[in-house]
Amino acid sequence: MSGDANAGAGTTSAATDSDDTAKVSVDSLGKTYASDRRTVEALSDVEFAVEDGEFVCIVGPSGCGKTTLFRIIAGLEDATSGAVTLDGSPVTGPGTDRGMVFQEYGLFPWRTVRENVAFGLEEQGVEGPARSERVTEMLELVGLDGFADAYPKELSGGMKQRVGIARALAVDPELLLMDEPFGAVDAQTRDMLHGELLDIWTETDKTVLFVTHDVEEAVTLADRVVVMAANPGRVREIVSVDIDRPRERTESEFAAYVERIRGLIGE
Amino acid sequence: MSNDEVGTGVTLSETEADERLLDRLAGFSSEQTWLAVAGFAGFLAVWYVAALFQPTYLLPSPVEVLAAFVVELTAPASLSIPFTGAELPATRLLVKLVQSLYHYVPGLLIGTSLGVFAGVAMGWNTRVDSVFTPVSRLLRPIPPLAWIGFAVIWLGVNHQGATFIVAIGSFWINFYSAYGGVEGVSEDLKEVAATLGVDDDWTMIRKVVIPAASPSIMTGIRTSIGQCWMIVVAAELIVGVGVGYEILNTAQNLAMDVSVAYMLVISIVFLVSDGLFRRVERRVLEWRA
Repeated sequence: MSGDANAGAGTTSAATDSDDTAKVSVDSLGKTYASDRRTVEALSDVEFAVEDGEFVCIVGPSGCGKTTLFRIIAGLEDATSGAVTLDGSPVTGPGTDRGMVFQEYGLFPWRTVRENVAFGLEEQGVEGPARSERVTEMLELVGLDGFADAYPKELSGGMKQRVGIARALAVDPELLLMDEPFGAVDAQTRDMLHGELLDIWTETDKTVLFVTHDVEEAVTLADRVVVMAANPGRVREIVSVDIDRPRERTESEFAAYVERIRGLIGE
Repeated sequence: MSNDEVGTGVTLSETEADERLLDRLAGFSSEQTWLAVAGFAGFLAVWYVAALFQPTYLLPSPVEVLAAFVVELTAPASLSIPFTGAELPATRLLVKLVQSLYHYVPGLLIGTSLGVFAGVAMGWNTRVDSVFTPVSRLLRPIPPLAWIGFAVIWLGVNHQGATFIVAIGSFWINFYSAYGGVEGVSEDLKEVAATLGVDDDWTMIRKVVIPAASPSIMTGIRTSIGQCWMIVVAAELIVGVGVGYEILNTAQNLAMDVSVAYMLVISIVFLVSDGLFRRVERRVLEWRA
C-alpha cells in the first residue's frame, strides 16, 4: 500500500521497510530558513521512528530545532526536504490524527472547560449525547470532572494543561504531540502531571511524542529519548531508557541516564 | 487526583472576587459616593447662583430647566407612525425622542454591521486589506457631518439623510475596532483550531477569530453608541427634526430653558443606553480575566 508512490523510483531501502511497522517515521528531514542575506539550516537529515504505543521524548539545547521539528510533524510548517509519515501516509498539514498539547496551553478563553474539550468533536460532527459523554469521559480521565463549567481564567496552570490534554485526546488521535507542555508550571505540579500523563498513556495506549529541554523530565517519561544537537539541528543519538516505571530520580540508574544524555548534549 | 491543587485554584479566585466586590461596595458607600454627590450638588449650586443674576434667555436656572423638562415631558402631542399614517397620542418630548431614534437606531445598526463586517474582512484577509487600505485611509479623516450635502441631495432632508450620517459615524468606529481586534488574534489559537480539525476560513472566523476579537468589537460598539448620539444631534440640526433640531430651534426662539431640557434628554438617553450596553458587555465577556 505504501509502494505506489515510491514504485517508480524503486526506493525499497531498509529504511522504508522499517517505516511500514512504525507509527511515526521521520525520514531525512531537513528545514532551511532563507532570508535575503543568509540561509539558516534549522534541521539537517533528521531521521527516527516511533513505534505504536511508544513514549518518545525529544531533548536538545535551545536552537537545536526541536520546536521546528514538532511543528513540521504537527503539519504547521513544511519541511524543506524529507518527509514525516504517520501510519504510512505523509503529513501534509494539520489534522486530528495528531493531538497537540502546547506549552502555553492554547485554551480558548471564551469557552468553558467542557466547551474547550468539545471543540475538536464539534468539528468532527459528533453531536448530542455522544459528544457530552466523550467530554465527560475525558474530563474524568484528567481529573477535572468537577470543573466542566469553569472558564480557563479560573484554573491554575496545571489544571489548564489537563484541559489541553483532555481536548487533544477527545478526538482520539493516533499520536499525542506535546511541546514542552509542563514548561510553564511549577516543579511540584510538574511531578504530579508526569505521573498523571503516564497513567493516561497506559490507560489509552496512545503513542506519545514529547518535546522538552529538561533531561530529567525526558528520563522520567520516555521509552526512548531522541537527543538532538544544534547548528544545524540534527539527531545526535537515540537512547533507550530501560528503567521500570515509576522511576525515582534518586536511583543511581536514573542519574546515570541523565548524565549520559547531558554529556551527549554537551551541557 | 490532585484535589489539593484543584481546591486552591478555586478558593483563591472566589476569595478574590468577594474581596473585589466588598472593596467596591465599601468604596461606593463611603468616600466616593459622598464626593460624587458633593461634586454634583456644587455644580447645581454654582449654576443656580449664576442664573440668579441673568435673564432666562441668557442662562436658565436648573429649576427653570427642570420645569421646562416636565412641561415637554407631559405636553400632549401626536406621534405619527411611519408607513402606516397612524397617529398615536404621546407627549412633545416623546415625539422628538422617537424622531431621533428613527435616525439613531437604523444608522447605528447599519453602520455597526457594515463596520464590523469590513473590519473583520480586512483584518482577516491580507489581499482585501491591501486593496482597501488606501481608500480607508483617504476616507477615514472626513468627519461624518461633511457628508451632509450628499445625504441631502441623495436621500433628501429627511430621516434617511440623518440615518446615513449616523451610519457613516458608527461605520468607522466599528471598522477600526474590529480590524484591530482581528489583527490581534493570536496565531497560537488559530493553530490550535487547525490541529483540532478547522480547515476552512469561515469556520475559523466564526469559531475563533470573532470570539477572540469580541472584546475589541464590543468596545467599538459601545463607543459608537455614545458617539452616534453626538452625531445624530448634529445631523438633525440640518435635517430639521428630532431632539437635536429642537435644541437649536428652541434656542433660536430664546427659550433657553427648553433648549437645555432637550440637552438633558440627550444625556439621559446616552446614560441609559450606555448602562444597558455595559451590562450586555459584561455578560458576553464574562470569560475575560
